[in-house]
Amino acid sequence: MSETPLASLSRRSFMTGSVSAAAAGPLMATSAKAAAPQPAASAEPRDLSAISLRINKQPYNLALDNRTSLLDALRDHVGLTGTKKGCDHGQCGACTVLVDGKRVLSCLSFAVMNKGHEITTVEGLASADGNLHPMQQAFIDNDAFQCGYCTPGQIMSAIGCINEGHAGSEGDIREYMSGNLCRCAAYPNIVAAIMQAQDETRKA
Amino acid sequence: MNQAAPAPKENMGNPVPRIDARLKVTGQAGYSADLPTANMAYGALATSSIAKGSITAVRLEKARKVPGVLDIVSVGDMDGIDKPKFGNTGASSIAPLHDKAIFHDGQIIALVVAETFEAAEEAAALIRADYAEETPSAGFDSRGTEMEPAAGKSPLFKEDVKAGDFDAAYAAAAVKIDEKYSTPTQHHNPIELFSTTAVWQGDQLTVYEPSQNVTGWKAELARQLKIDPANVRIVSPYVGGAFGSKGPMTARTAIVAVAARSVGRPVRCVVSRIQAYGTQTYRAETRHRIRIGANQDGRITAFAHEGWEVTSRPDPYVVGGTSATGRMYDYGSVLTHVSLVHADRNTPGYMRSPPETPYVYALENAMDEMAVALGMDPVEFRRVNEPQKEPIGGKPFSSRSLVKCYDQAAEAFGWSKREAAVGSMRDGDWLVGMGCATAIYPTAAAPCAARVRLTTDGEVRVQCGSHEIGTGVRTVAAQMAAERLGIEMDKVSVEMGDSALPPAPVSGGSISTASVCSAVLKACDAVRAKLFAAAVAEAGPLAGSGNAKLEMSQEKIVADNGKSAKLSDVFKTMQIGAIEEYAEFAPKGSSPEALKKLYAGQSEFHGGDQDKDSVKYAFGAEFVEVRINSHTREIRVPRIVGAFAAGRIMNTRTARSQLMGGMIWGIGQALHEATEIDKRHARYVNRDLQDYLVPVNADVKQLEVILVPEIDHEVNPAGVKGLGELGNVGTAAAVASAVYHATGKRIRDLPIRIDHLIV
Repeated sequence: MSETPLASLSRRSFMTGSVSAAAAGPLMATSAKAAAPQPAASAEPRDLSAISLRINKQPYNLALDNRTSLLDALRDHVGLTGTKKGCDHGQCGACTVLVDGKRVLSCLSFAVMNKGHEITTVEGLASADGNLHPMQQAFIDNDAFQCGYCTPGQIMSAIGCINEGHAGSEGDIREYMSGNLCRCAAYPNIVAAIMQAQDETRKA
Repeated sequence: MNQAAPAPKENMGNPVPRIDARLKVTGQAGYSADLPTANMAYGALATSSIAKGSITAVRLEKARKVPGVLDIVSVGDMDGIDKPKFGNTGASSIAPLHDKAIFHDGQIIALVVAETFEAAEEAAALIRADYAEETPSAGFDSRGTEMEPAAGKSPLFKEDVKAGDFDAAYAAAAVKIDEKYSTPTQHHNPIELFSTTAVWQGDQLTVYEPSQNVTGWKAELARQLKIDPANVRIVSPYVGGAFGSKGPMTARTAIVAVAARSVGRPVRCVVSRIQAYGTQTYRAETRHRIRIGANQDGRITAFAHEGWEVTSRPDPYVVGGTSATGRMYDYGSVLTHVSLVHADRNTPGYMRSPPETPYVYALENAMDEMAVALGMDPVEFRRVNEPQKEPIGGKPFSSRSLVKCYDQAAEAFGWSKREAAVGSMRDGDWLVGMGCATAIYPTAAAPCAARVRLTTDGEVRVQCGSHEIGTGVRTVAAQMAAERLGIEMDKVSVEMGDSALPPAPVSGGSISTASVCSAVLKACDAVRAKLFAAAVAEAGPLAGSGNAKLEMSQEKIVADNGKSAKLSDVFKTMQIGAIEEYAEFAPKGSSPEALKKLYAGQSEFHGGDQDKDSVKYAFGAEFVEVRINSHTREIRVPRIVGAFAAGRIMNTRTARSQLMGGMIWGIGQALHEATEIDKRHARYVNRDLQDYLVPVNADVKQLEVILVPEIDHEVNPAGVKGLGELGNVGTAAAVASAVYHATGKRIRDLPIRIDHLIV
């Protein structure tokens, strides 16, 4: 376990195993143990790590509990609440973000695993002048949501789906978007939105 | 225009995009757990591991030692707080931290408050309790349940409807069926997690929580905390799916408020998906026995519907769908009876189309069986039994476009191409089946208040304490104001989801559009009256046009004599900058206390079967094609068509989306959704979104919604019937009918799964 590169670890294996390289060293004392600096090899999961994340092209320097998911880091520590928590178990897709252009379930990724990667959330899609990403506009045009809660995850996943080359047909889209649950069941409209936006998204 | 924005037909509004669409696609729409608050602490729940008995000790020592833990509220820590009540606003009378008694698995036993989410979760997982455990009764067929007649146990279900002499008619019937049906336990599972954030500022409490009933919760929370309701505010600007689950306030809300007061900091508790199964409401399992007798010509002479529903030990929650099924067709004679079965379970609550989803499923599956028994086409069988008046009270329907719905849906679906013989429509490895069913939902409205402000520059602000749960109610309220005041949509803003706003009823029972739009309409008309009076007054810009008919259009007051005046000029003569009007709407026939009750947070529904002059229902017809793989028995729904008539359609885009979502819910009811129960422990087993199956994108292919024009001035001033729940009714029966047509197997217990179809 100790030789495993950090970035390839899932949160589940982290929770059950002990990971030597997990912490860059405790910064803030939240426990008696943490008050005395610990060698990295025995870092407690609850210790804080200093990490730098690049989110929507902006750098963020954070001190996070090693157990903090990327999702909770975004929502509770960075203030980007557009990314949603629907299950915290990787089952609903509401927390989908792009990491280096690929869709990732941010609830199943520790924040500390994302150092050095480019994270994109729904807040990072529209241009600075307020122009929406083609996928965002397509979701509006096709009424691809009702309550809107799963929508950020759907939009990020839709862009990821196109980047992967899995949006060639309506059937492909349905299959490769089935990890994103929409309880309002806007599915046919989501498929229509992705069909509408795919060419522009590839250019975007 | 694309498929999502159907062209409006008669009595339909434009497919205006949602006014909050941009906020929703950019992540800026603030759901309750998104709203920032300073110095926040995090809460996590610990829940019981038994379903029946009592707590002898709660062991908190290990949890308290977790670094970052600030406080733990547990059993016995609710001194000075009143217990929750079951009823109009409260989900259950079970008071988890008041009592040592355990009524169900997953009952709250403690709330941990900590500096971080991670610490709170860690500590909550370390909490254990010692119990004096008893053997629980899980539900139907378990020993120790208690059964009672449902009629009169709930204000929502007063009587078992009946008409004529069923026994005699059934005995004499030439063709008859007598069958049993069942529907499973289901959980709403909105994608937004349940959460409570409690913030005290002195004696003022603000609670951010996804809610379908902010005014009701304000009153109920104040009652439990024994504080002045004026000091309580519930904020829920956007709700991430509700489907009934966020209507009743649960015990958690007051517990989090108590914890926040105790630690002197705001506390946010986001409930895990697993814990929601036991701490929120759900749709309880139901059973049905249906008997239908008919003449050889297909005319029904006798109909009996008996229902059984599970509820908790202490609370008589009942859905009782026989009021609608008993009025659906021209039966001749009707007999109904509903029973409640009390078990050691959390108290159920309303879930999308609460009575009709299970009861109409049973009725429509039975109707299909009866059509088969008669050798009739199922559409024709329904047409033959179309009533002029409802059979219970002999009252007319305010409007009933069911036959039109069948005609239009059948044509779009291609029903005429269906070969009637079972198993006759095979396509390669796939067995093809086609089925249909009726959708019905009662049309009601409830008292509602709204405030509308129009300023001299043509800006409109609408305020109403209703709730945007995804229905598009903010958009249709804006449309109503824009239309009435002659203002473009982009100059209208709508505030909702806050108990500080004019009170609105619970957003449930498909009443919101009718209730909110009727109140907004009334407020707009009051604004118009003031403007019109000023415009035609002696000093006004339309002086001398007092007898002309006036309208508002493009920021002008336009008279039918050809004259018009700019809005800003009318304001100028009035020497004011804004007109603001507050209006209260109460449905015709409401009780004299209905408006007073609105302010006390009690929603008094009126409509459906309650009126003396007519009964009010919305109708639809759904057609489904299923394909069943002859080797694997995999069941697919490649095509579904629904036609619905629901009075005035405010916005064809949001209406279509709601009906579409309902139809897909119906596919889920038919094929996917069921909460499995470990009967030994009365415990839900599949408590997450991996094992509780809901429809995903790949489960839906071709879906068509047809909006059938219908005008109904009787239902309410807005002429709106509401359709949030309609699309979900009947679908499962249509699927069951199609499965029978494909395979010859009549599946009466939902959901229909592969294992039902393996020989």
